[in-house]
Amino acid sequence: MVTMIAAPHIEIENLTVHYGAKPALRNVSLTVQRNEILAIIGPAQSGKTTLLRCLNRTVDHEPTARVTGVVRVDNEDIRQTNNVYDLRRRIGMVAPLPVGLPLTIFDNVAFAPRMAGIRDRAELAQRVERCLRQAALWDEVKDRLHTLGTKLSGGQQQRLTIARALSHEPEILCLDEFSIAIDPVTTMRIEDVLKELRARMTILLVTNLVQQARRLADRTAFLFNGELVELDATEKIFSATPRDRRTYDYTHGVFG
Amino acid sequence: MNAPMPHLFAVTPLTRKKQRREQLARAVFFTMALLLVVPLVLIVVYLVVQAWPVLSWEFLTTNPKRGMRAGGIWSALLGTFYLVGFSLLVAAPIGILAAVYLNEYAKDNWFTRLVNLAVINLAAVPSIVHALFGLGAFVIFFGLGKSILAASLTLAIMTMPVIIASTKEALAAVPRSFREACWNVGATRWQTIRHVVLPNSISGILTGVILQVSRAAGETAPIMFTGAVFFKAIEEGNLFAYGLRDQCMALSMHLFTISTQVPDVPHGLPFATAVVLLGTVLFINTLAIILRVWLRSRKKW
Repeated sequence: MVTMIAAPHIEIENLTVHYGAKPALRNVSLTVQRNEILAIIGPAQSGKTTLLRCLNRTVDHEPTARVTGVVRVDNEDIRQTNNVYDLRRRIGMVAPLPVGLPLTIFDNVAFAPRMAGIRDRAELAQRVERCLRQAALWDEVKDRLHTLGTKLSGGQQQRLTIARALSHEPEILCLDEFSIAIDPVTTMRIEDVLKELRARMTILLVTNLVQQARRLADRTAFLFNGELVELDATEKIFSATPRDRRTYDYTHGVFG
Repeated sequence: MNAPMPHLFAVTPLTRKKQRREQLARAVFFTMALLLVVPLVLIVVYLVVQAWPVLSWEFLTTNPKRGMRAGGIWSALLGTFYLVGFSLLVAAPIGILAAVYLNEYAKDNWFTRLVNLAVINLAAVPSIVHALFGLGAFVIFFGLGKSILAASLTLAIMTMPVIIASTKEALAAVPRSFREACWNVGATRWQTIRHVVLPNSISGILTGVILQVSRAAGETAPIMFTGAVFFKAIEEGNLFAYGLRDQCMALSMHLFTISTQVPDVPHGLPFATAVVLLGTVLFINTLAIILRVWLRSRKKW
C-alpha cells in the first residue's frame, strides 16, 4: 500500500530578491502545506512583504527588483507563467493599511469578479454578500452597499479589503500585518473568520503580534535581514528553546 | 507658601512673538493677492468701458467692412473657434494617450527619461519657433498650404507638450496604492487605468487641456505664418463658412492688425475685439469648469 503524502501547496526554493543593489531576500527556501496557516514574523525590513509579493508576482511592478529562485504553487513554477492575472486571482492579498478603492462598497467587492468577466447581476450580488459575510462586515454595511467604501471607518475598510481579497475566490490568502490599523475587537472577529477560512484555503499571515501568531498559526517562520532564520511549529518558535539564538532574542525582546 | 503657579494660558513673550509673526505673514500674503487681483480687475473694467459703445450682437455676426474700419468681427470669431477646435481635436487625444503611456506603462529607463525631458523642454519653446516649424513642416513639406488645417496642426504641436506634462501630473496624483490594490486582484494594467486611474484623474487632466484652449486662442505668432489672413469675408451667420483648406481670420491676429497696421480705426473697435477674445476664452473656460465640477462631484476620495 502506498501512503499518500500531500504535495505542498507552496514551494519556495532559493528565492533571492534584490531591490537595486540592496538585498531584500537571501536564499529563502520553505514549503507551505495545503490548509495550513503559516505565520511570518520578523523585524522591519526583514523581507516579509517582499516574500508575499513574490508569490503573486506584484514584485514585477517594482522596476529595480531582481528575482532569482523558484516559486511553485500546486507544482507549477509561477515565475515562468505568462498569465500573472490568473495567478493573482488564485491568491488573495491584504495590505497593512486598508486601501478602499474610490468606489462604492458593492463595487469594491465586485471589482475583481467583474474584471474576470462576470457580468451577471444576480451572481455578482450573491458573491458580494458572501464575501462581506465572510469578512464579518455584512451586517454593518448591508443597508448602504451603494455608498462609498472610502467613507467607512479604518477597521471597516480593512474588512472591506479582506472581502475584496476573497472576492476572486482565492486558494491562498496572504495577510500582511492586517491588524495594525484596526481595533482589538475587530481583530478578534477577523481572526475567527480566518479560522473558518482555513478549511478552504492556505493562509500566510505576516504578523508581529506574538499572541496572534500563537492563536492562529500551525507553524511560524522567522525572517531576519532577508534570511529565513527558522521555521518550526509555532509553539517551538515562541518557546524558551527555539533552535536559533536569534529567534529567542527576537521573540523575547532581547534585540537591541 | 510656594510661589503661585503661572497661569496656564498666560501670555508669554514667545506667544506674543508668534502672534506678531502670524499677523505679518497673513498681511504679506493678503497684499500679494491684492496686487494680483487689482490690476486684473482694472484691465477688464477699462476694456469693457472702452468697448461698450461698439459691442452688440451685430458686431459679433457681421464681417469687418471698409478696410476693417467698420463692421464686426464675424469672420475672425468663427476663425478662432475653428483653429482652437481643430487643434484641440488633434492635441488632446494624442497628448492624453501619450501621457497615459509615459506614466502608466513606460519603464523607467534612459529612453523614457529622454522623452520626458524632451516634453518638458518642448513645452518651454516660444510660440514663434513653433510657427516656423509649422510653416516648414505643414505648409511647405506636407503641402497643406496656408490653411486652417496647417494652422491648427501648428497650434496642436504647440499645446501638446503642455497637455502631456499636465496629464502626467494628474495621473501621478492618483495614489499608487490604488493601482496595487487592483493588480492584487488580477486586474490588468488597462483595466486598472480604465476603472480606477482615469476616473480619478479626469478633472485634473481637463484642467490642463482647458488652460491650453486659452493659450491656443490667444497666440498670434503660430497662425500668422501658417493660415491666418489679414482680411477675409465669409458668409455671415453660417457656422460652416470655412473649409479646412481655407485660410481664415482669427481674433488675436485681427486685434493685432487693427491696433497697429490699419490707420484711422475707430477708437472702440480694438477694445471691443479684445473683449470678445477675452469673452471667448472665458466662455470656454466656464464650460470646462462646469464639466470639472460635475466630474469632481463624482470623485470618490
